[in-house]
Parts: sequence; structure tokens; C-alpha cells
Amino acid sequence: MTRREFMDELNALLSALPDKERLDILADYTEHFLLGMKQGKTEHEIAEGLGSPKLVARELLAGYRIDQAQSNASVGNMTRAIVATISLGFFNLVFVLGPFLGLIGILMGLYAMTAALLVAPVGIFLDYGIPAPSQERLFLLFSSMVSVGLGGMFAIGLLRLTKWLYRQFLRYLQFNVKMIRGK
Amino acid sequence: MLMNVQFKKGVLELCVLVLTAKQDRYGYELVASISEKFHISEGTVYPLLRRLTQEGFFTTYLAESQEGPPRKYYQLTNRGRQYMNDLVLEWRIFNRGVNEIIEEGLGYDKA
Repeated sequence: MTRREFMDELNALLSALPDKERLDILADYTEHFLLGMKQGKTEHEIAEGLGSPKLVARELLAGYRIDQAQSNASVGNMTRAIVATISLGFFNLVFVLGPFLGLIGILMGLYAMTAALLVAPVGIFLDYGIPAPSQERLFLLFSSMVSVGLGGMFAIGLLRLTKWLYRQFLRYLQFNVKMIRGK
Repeated sequence: MLMNVQFKKGVLELCVLVLTAKQDRYGYELVASISEKFHISEGTVYPLLRRLTQEGFFTTYLAESQEGPPRKYYQLTNRGRQYMNDLVLEWRIFNRGVNEIIEEGLGYDKA
């Protein structure tokens, strides 16, 4: 592989990065080639020593995507971080996607339960309109208050839990990238 | 195998930090001094350097040289030095333990 081929391939693989970042990275490798050639090495030897541009790009991209998701929390960024990490190897299909889908499932279950608690009083109050023995009315009134109260507390707790899980999952991804790269 | 990858990665990190302990170094120099000692995928040193810089362990600056291109130098920060000291200590404990196990296991007598 010549210097030109190495740089072109790396450049293409890094197209997702902002220009500033990409050019900075390319400058590092250009410097490496120029200094290597000064030492009397051929372009081919230097490229050989560097290893595959794909490996280099994968590590840079995985690191970059996780940084993004950290400084700018959004579902899109999180998804991109996961895709980048998954691309590190099949290993991750099991060890990243699995836990992630599991967590999403649990969260969705909790959200559904909270929604049910909050909505339950609507049904109770529909009943309440119909004349009923006063004890039963009181019971209905109290049970709807309890339901809304619990629902509200769960909702607050769940929002916190979701944020916390988001952060934990990012840390997990970072740990994962550290495990995979650097061979 | 995972252990092995993680292990090599940690060693590489330790090496670049230690190599910059006494003087600022540029990337090529770091890569060359390490691959002189053991085999690495040289291209992966630069992503490592970027990560350590992002984490605040290095600052970088460009310096012209009489010949060849300007070089990007890596300078260890105080945080980086602290981190390096932690890693070196960890390495020494680990290294001593492994050596003792090897000596006991292979039964070299100090005759």
C-alpha cells in the first residue's frame, strides 16, 4: 500500500467526522509517513507498520461517537455510538445490543405501568359519577388519589432512572471499546 | 483473549506516558521507541494519543524542525503525570507478583 492509498482510504473512512477533526488526524499520519521516509523507509514499509486503515478508523470513530453522545445526549447520538461500537466486532452484537434491548424492554414496561397508574382514576371517576353508597365513594376517591400519587412518584423516578441508565450505558460502551481496541 | 487485548492496550498506554515523562515527544518518536521493543500495530498509537489528549493527560503543540515537516509534540500534564505514576506502581506490583510465581513454578533454586 502506498502513502497515497493509505491516506485516501483513511480519509474516506473518516468522512463522518467534522473536517477539523479529520484533517487533524490525517496530518498525524502524514507526519508519520514523512518522518518514516526521512529514515529511509519505503512508503510500503511504513503503511505495513501502521496496519490497516480500517482498524485505525474504527478506533477513531468509536472513540469519537461516544464522546459525542456524552456531550450531547440524544437518541440519535446514542444510536450512532452503539452502531460504531457494534461495528467493532460481532462480539458486540451479543454484549452491547443484548443488554441495551433488555434495558429498553424493562424501561418500556415501567413506563406502561406508570401510565396505567395515572390513567386508572379516569375509569374510577367515570364510576364515581353514578350514585353509590357513600363508603364506596370514599374508597373510590382514596384509591384514585393513591393511584395518581403512585403514578406521579413513579414518573419522577423513571425519568431519573432513564437518565442514569443513559449514562451507565455510555460508560459500558466506553469500557467495551477499551476492551476491543488496542490490540 | 480479551484479557490479552486489554493487557496490551494497558501496556501501550503505560509506555507512551512513561516515554513523555522527561521530555516532550512527537508521535513518530513514540511509535519508533515502542515498536523497537515489541510488536504493535503502529497505526493504533495515534488514536491512543488522541484519547489521552482528550482525557487531559497530554497537551500538544506543533514545532518546526530544521528538516522535514513540523512535528506535533505531546507534553504530559500534571494529571497525566499522576495517572502515569499510578500505572507504574500498578505495573511494578503486577510484575513482581508474576516473576515470583514464575520462579516458584519453574523451581529455580538460588544455589
